[in-house]
Amino acid sequence: MDDLLKVANWLLPLFYLALLIDYGATFFMAVRVQARSPWVVAVIAVHAAFLVLRGTHAHDGYSPLVGQYGILSVIAVSMAAMYWVLERIARDRRAGLFIFGLIFLFQYTASVFLPTAAPEVAGPWWARLHILPAALAYTALSLGGVYGLLHLVAQHNLKKHRFGLLFDRLPPLELLGKMTWWALLHGFGFMTVSIATGMWLAHSGVPLEGQGPKLAAKIAIGSFAWVICLVAILGRTAGKWPMSRISLIAVAGFLTIMALLVASATLSS
Amino acid sequence: MELSVIGISHRTAPVDVRERFSLSDEQVRQFLRAIHAENIFEEALVLSTCNRTDVFFVSAGPRDGLGYFIEHVRKIKDLAGPMDTSAFYRHSGQEAVNHLFRVTASLDSQIVGEHQILGQIKEAYRLASEERTSRFLLNKLLHWSFRVGKRVQSETQLGHGSASIAQAAVELSQRVFSELAGKSVLFIGAGQTAQLAARAVIRGGVHRVIVANRTLSRAQEVADDLLRQLPQAPDADHDDEDVEVPQEIKCPALLQMFPELKTRSQAAPSAGSPNQLEVRAIAMEEIPSVIAGVDLLISSTGSPDLVLTCKTVGDILRRSGRPLFIVDIAVPRDVDPALGKLTNVFLHNIDDLNLLVARNIDRRRREIPRAEAIVQDEAGRFAQWLDSLQLLPTVRLLQQYFETLQKGVIQRYGHQFKADQGQLDLLTQSLCKKLLHKPLTFLNQLPQSAGASENLAAIDLIRRMFDLDSLEK
Repeated sequence: MDDLLKVANWLLPLFYLALLIDYGATFFMAVRVQARSPWVVAVIAVHAAFLVLRGTHAHDGYSPLVGQYGILSVIAVSMAAMYWVLERIARDRRAGLFIFGLIFLFQYTASVFLPTAAPEVAGPWWARLHILPAALAYTALSLGGVYGLLHLVAQHNLKKHRFGLLFDRLPPLELLGKMTWWALLHGFGFMTVSIATGMWLAHSGVPLEGQGPKLAAKIAIGSFAWVICLVAILGRTAGKWPMSRISLIAVAGFLTIMALLVASATLSS
Repeated sequence: MELSVIGISHRTAPVDVRERFSLSDEQVRQFLRAIHAENIFEEALVLSTCNRTDVFFVSAGPRDGLGYFIEHVRKIKDLAGPMDTSAFYRHSGQEAVNHLFRVTASLDSQIVGEHQILGQIKEAYRLASEERTSRFLLNKLLHWSFRVGKRVQSETQLGHGSASIAQAAVELSQRVFSELAGKSVLFIGAGQTAQLAARAVIRGGVHRVIVANRTLSRAQEVADDLLRQLPQAPDADHDDEDVEVPQEIKCPALLQMFPELKTRSQAAPSAGSPNQLEVRAIAMEEIPSVIAGVDLLISSTGSPDLVLTCKTVGDILRRSGRPLFIVDIAVPRDVDPALGKLTNVFLHNIDDLNLLVARNIDRRRREIPRAEAIVQDEAGRFAQWLDSLQLLPTVRLLQQYFETLQKGVIQRYGHQFKADQGQLDLLTQSLCKKLLHKPLTFLNQLPQSAGASENLAAIDLIRRMFDLDSLEK
């Protein structure tokens, strides 16, 4: 089983690379823009199976949501799954190149540093359930960051009257804006659930993963993400901010959160 | 069996020559009825558009299609005097097939890659089918050509991007909005380009159209015109499945079981149908009161001054936060360039549209070799299919099919019989010969019993019935 998990761990980035190439073909050659690829579902299924197997193999019935690289891998797979749903709704796979670029980066990093055996953790398995909505929130924010960036690029091109490759290949501005907005809404929802359950668990005296500064950093980053989403949502709904400003917040928020997560991981190791 | 085409097009003649040979739908019907009645040609189809008049004939042997056409055009259009036919081209056999495929692929159009031609050919086919001058060979050829048109559209970028200012305005708006359905459009001015753009966006399925003009009565006139000219039928570039023509399915029982086979073209109403669209006329002064609810604005007045300024609508647009796409087609410009600096306003002028059109036309030119390759490939396949409809090879294949069948049966069941294997062989051979007798007699008598089209149809049916093509491969 260990060998199988090792092979799967290295195959996953390759699978995502293959998808990246496939989406690259759609973007650069304008082919199969509305096609439905069964391979995305297959890779998501393999990835999910890997995470579950890795967890249950190491610890009987163990949740895989532990360790920063384990969570990064979970974010990668949930990004792929969320994007797959969005792609089916929008019937447009032109943004896939950028999303899978980020997913590949996440999974490659996770595969390089991920220990084959899941580490030991204290406390009951359900104490880690609040990590799931947090991972989903970071997933949504990652998607929001990518879509927001594409929205800003498309808007810039339209404003500057540049009719180049990006003008041709990027999805319409309205669609990119909607995707950014949905991602922020979902990010806010998931992060709210995560913070609420985390606070409840802490209040109940259940030991949470990490201690001291590590836990404080996680709480700070989570709260920052939550505030970012809240500001964007309030700005859009109450302040009628233009979508470009929301996209800017999504991109800036995503980049800051990523930088903070990397800094936190580096300092804690 | 001779397939030929005679025609005149924008490549061979100017409009004053072309218009003499151009036929209306009713005149096409008259011509086809004459062909059907006189029975000189077995099949015929007329494609008459503003850029070309092509007549396809199928006959048992070589016939003077051009002479026949000119003679009837004289009668139908009541023309006298000599008619110069030097601009006509003639192709026969494989060249005629190539010609049709190139036309369908829009390689022979004035604006290469335009989609309208496919709809026009479908219309021509509909007329020929209704007048019963399109039978086996033209049915097959036309359906094949629709496939060629679709392949070229889907596998190349020949038809991609707009090639006119009006379409370019719509194309640009599609970079902002996912779809035009449900959007509101404001047209300022009543120029011809604006009206063309209006029709293009209405086809896109917009929900509300507002026409503003210096005089309200003229705005109302344009609004009424737009309502009158709403697309009543499905779009011209619809699928060939939508064409309501008698095809191979003629069985009444089958049509009773699947009524959609004959009524598919009467499906859902097209986008922009009268019950979905709201068209309204307003005076120029009312623009600030409606602009906040507008998604797309196309302006083309003849005004020497700016019609939309930052001072009049800037604050309204800033407050709305809603994206507004403005296309200013007018020269001198109607829209204050400062409006384009607002975050949610996307302002494009005639130069941007010209740039886009030039880029698209250049790109279409680069796609021509790929489209030509598809046409050649499909023309080759069609020729291969037509060659397969020869009598003798079909008879040989049919005999081979039964021989294979007989040997297969002997191999599979022979060991179950105690009788002499030689006798069993004779018995099965005799049975196969008897089974083959009727189809072979039918095939051998074909040349005497029916016209060339019917013969081909019968051979094609036999080949498909026994899947002889796969046996040949």
